[in-house]
Amino acid sequence: MSYFLQLVVSGIVVGSIYALSALGFVLIYKSSRVINLAHGQIIASGCFITYALNVWVGIPIYLAFVLSLIITFFLAMGVERLFLRRLIGEPIISVIMVTIGLMSILDGIIYLTPFGAENFSFPEFLPTTPIMMGDVSISWTQLVGVIITALLIGGFSWFFKKTTIGIAKRAVADDQLAAMSIGVSVPKVFGLAWATAGLTAAAAGGIIGNITGLNFDTLHAVGITVFPVVILGGLDSILGAVVAGIIMGLIQQFAGGYLDGNWGLNSTAEVLPYIILLIILLIKPHGLFGTHEIERV
Amino acid sequence: MAVNRWLATGNYFTSYRDEQRIFATHLNRLFFFAFLCCLFVWPLLFEVSNKYMLVIDNILIAIVAIIGLNLLTGFAGLISIGHAAFVGVGAYCLASFARVIGDEHILITHAWPVMIILSGLLGAVFGAFVGLPALRLKHLYLAIATLSFQMIFEWTINSMTFFNQGQTISVGRVFWFTGQVMRADHYVFWYYVVLTVIIICWFMASNLLRTRYGRSLIAVRDNDRAADAMGMHPGLTKVYAFALGGFFAGVAGALHAYLYRGVGIESFTLHHSISYLAMAIVGGLGTLNGSFWGPLAIRTLDLQVDNLAEKAGHIFSANLSLATALRPLAFGLVIVLFLMFEPRGIANWWRIVKSYTKLWPFKY
Amino acid sequence: MKTNKKVLICYIAASFILFAAALQPAAAQTYKIGLSLAITGPTSDAGVPYSKGVEDYFKYANDMKLLGDDKLDCMIKDDAYKTDVTKRNFEEFLDQGIELYLNYSTGSTLGLKKDFEEEKIPTLPASFHAGNLDDSNYIFLPIVSYSGQLIGLAEYVTKMHQGETPKVAMFIHPSAFGRGPVEDLKKAVEAGLNIEIVEVVEHGKDLDNTAMLKRLSSKGVQYVFCHTVQSPVATMLKDAQRLDVAASKFGENGKMTFLGIHYTGGNDLIALAGDASENFFWTTSYTLTSEDTDGARIQLEMAKKYGRDDKIANSHNYTNGIMVAQIAVEAIRRTKAKGKKIVRENLYEELNAMNGMNAFYPVTTVGPVTYSKTDRQGVDTLQLYKVKNGVFRSTGSTFTSEYYKKIQ
Repeated sequence: MSYFLQLVVSGIVVGSIYALSALGFVLIYKSSRVINLAHGQIIASGCFITYALNVWVGIPIYLAFVLSLIITFFLAMGVERLFLRRLIGEPIISVIMVTIGLMSILDGIIYLTPFGAENFSFPEFLPTTPIMMGDVSISWTQLVGVIITALLIGGFSWFFKKTTIGIAKRAVADDQLAAMSIGVSVPKVFGLAWATAGLTAAAAGGIIGNITGLNFDTLHAVGITVFPVVILGGLDSILGAVVAGIIMGLIQQFAGGYLDGNWGLNSTAEVLPYIILLIILLIKPHGLFGTHEIERV
Repeated sequence: MAVNRWLATGNYFTSYRDEQRIFATHLNRLFFFAFLCCLFVWPLLFEVSNKYMLVIDNILIAIVAIIGLNLLTGFAGLISIGHAAFVGVGAYCLASFARVIGDEHILITHAWPVMIILSGLLGAVFGAFVGLPALRLKHLYLAIATLSFQMIFEWTINSMTFFNQGQTISVGRVFWFTGQVMRADHYVFWYYVVLTVIIICWFMASNLLRTRYGRSLIAVRDNDRAADAMGMHPGLTKVYAFALGGFFAGVAGALHAYLYRGVGIESFTLHHSISYLAMAIVGGLGTLNGSFWGPLAIRTLDLQVDNLAEKAGHIFSANLSLATALRPLAFGLVIVLFLMFEPRGIANWWRIVKSYTKLWPFKY
Repeated sequence: MKTNKKVLICYIAASFILFAAALQPAAAQTYKIGLSLAITGPTSDAGVPYSKGVEDYFKYANDMKLLGDDKLDCMIKDDAYKTDVTKRNFEEFLDQGIELYLNYSTGSTLGLKKDFEEEKIPTLPASFHAGNLDDSNYIFLPIVSYSGQLIGLAEYVTKMHQGETPKVAMFIHPSAFGRGPVEDLKKAVEAGLNIEIVEVVEHGKDLDNTAMLKRLSSKGVQYVFCHTVQSPVATMLKDAQRLDVAASKFGENGKMTFLGIHYTGGNDLIALAGDASENFFWTTSYTLTSEDTDGARIQLEMAKKYGRDDKIANSHNYTNGIMVAQIAVEAIRRTKAKGKKIVRENLYEELNAMNGMNAFYPVTTVGPVTYSKTDRQGVDTLQLYKVKNGVFRSTGSTFTSEYYKKIQ
């Protein structure tokens, strides 16, 4: 039983990281209908900025974390202004490819820094002894990660429900023309969507970096892993991202815990999300919470 | 029809048949065949190092794959982020034969044209299978479905012992009328083979686009409801577009396997899928000649960047990260700049040059 | 006309060469060597120091005139860990006329094996995959294969373990590189090696290894053999520390001791895993700069001389590169000393003769390099290291694997 519980706990930890990573993805898709393949790279850069500020500049970790959120906020906004603003109204393939191009460029820029080829790890700032609840253990890093994730997601839900900008964003997501006609600046909303997505990506990066160490390959791989999550949750649903993130985390842990090592199976946690993705696409393409907008041919 | 069949100063089409000719004038045809002759003759005149012959073969194989991707993404409008997996299906078809009957079996070494076509057919079957979700999905969702096919393909190859878990499965040297093709002639031999395959593929594709089956692809891309109303079956058309794309990819895969004399998963990863897409876009989506420009441009760029990176590595030898960064930076910039400033790709430049020479020396 | 001209030029050139050869038999020559490796892309964290090691040692050989007036020209090309590109580089090197080839990844070594055979070119890869040696005669592993290392490690465990048959799990990279030694270890067990392999885990890009570790611990696994790159090991070690399943000393009851072979260890592991890397056991055939040995001193001097930073200077892959270059230089030196021409066949012969009295003792390894027609694994000796207070320290004396010889 404790084995099961432990799997549940780590599933939730991993899942909440997925949720946070997927959140940024959804924010962009929701308002501008762009799928951002460079998300993993933004996550990685958020993480690297935090590290650089903390270790090289010497700013305390929490402050460095907040600063990195702000920096990535503007960074992502700049990316949108520079590359994506021109492509509003272009076919989907152009938009997908531009984010792929962006991914490559960010890769290049990261390779210019020491993070491209070398490995680092954050200095320990939390107690290393795990918290034990019965037989189930969770580390402080993971706990703090989950708390930050919960705070951010809660904050965003509130932001969308209550603030003017949040409502403007929802209006644009709903109907761009109508939103424009009541005076909402659509490009500004797009910019803001990217900026907030950058912010959440940086947060996710900081948390993942603390858990796994700073290895570029590991960090940007998260960008691809969010695909199954967002498809499961529905591409344009924040609630969906959270629920699907946690489901996916649990599925991966259970796959690792119960499937691997039996029947000659191995690293099923790697491929299972994509199999689920295909199944979801076939039976419920808009995901658990997404808007029904798929038309059949 | 213009009286002069050699030169045309404008459009004088009087029937659809005229308009659909592959060569508008005799001059065009002459140039085309002269160019083909050059392609066949030049390796006999110049001594090319093995390295460059390998590079050229590689470009040609990519062209075969891109013709398929262009039919799929350019003409039928279905985005595939899993094209390398289709190429991989072709290569692994050959590899499976090599595993079962041995890599020096007569089927592989002597009946290689059959094997290449067989690989293409298997690619088509897989293409159609992966295209099935197209019956329900559109645009982005379809793109993500192909992405997941790519991931599942990689996992399957990596975890099955039959496929040597992604390690290289070797493929024997082939025989020609003159006997076994040995190392010295290997790359030149495959140059001729791939060139022939490309010419066949090109004629197949351009003839296809003149028939209703080709036009239905474009109709479905432009507006699938209108296509439906005109009596085409959009769903089936999409599945068939995937099969077509898969066929060309499969052929390319088998050629790749023969050229490298081995199949390993490394050549068919997500990264390659992305780079195929980039080739199609840089070449020009929805144009056949774009399929030639794209691979040429991207592979040449790769090579030049490698050279540059190497020079940079020598100059700033203390700091190699610059050299590392050049490759993705150049690749990314090319994609982004093309999308922003020339979304119609190099094919558009070709069109401009062509229309210029058509009128030259006059302005109008 | 054209051919006539060509022939004429050839004649002139040939006569010049003959003339020159007749006049100065000891004229300085340049020998070409090629190295293709991943300076960018996956595993570049190992590839960069490796390339520096090779580059620096050849420079050193030229500067110190180890080959008299003759020079070595080592062309280093990046292949970004892609076999396609490696093949291209290899063809280019052949066009340039190399006499010895240095390769890197497991995938490309296996993929190009047939080319090495056909070209009859001696090849030294950075991959110690045992499968490299199957059906091939021209691939020389610098040190004992991964299989040998792993079996050596297993023998160490059986020797030090107290109690019943030790239960072992393997944690491997999901690739040819990772899976290579699995079968060999199983063979060794069949041949009588007293361990029980409970499970073989191929890791993914997991963010969390809780499930795996809990499972292993519930199955009573006491030793985890790692054969992968540093980053997944670091993640696992951190999780093990958090779950409190990591042994604080070797073979602690009810806990897991983590052990790894060549590419799992080194300073990168400590950099990634921090505290959690304490008590990680690692085996390799190289000397480390954290120990005071001749090899370490020479390595550090060389790094200083050619302006390498601390990170590279102390990397075990820098040592790795230096050592491979040493073998190359030694083979050329010996061939030259015998007055033979520096061509592939002679180098091949010379490499095969490196045994017995003629074994080669590089300064940066813990044992001699021995090659013969039947044994193309260089250094067979291994040294166990253990992380203590954030650095790798050697524990115990050097050893060689007994069972590995038996199963071959």
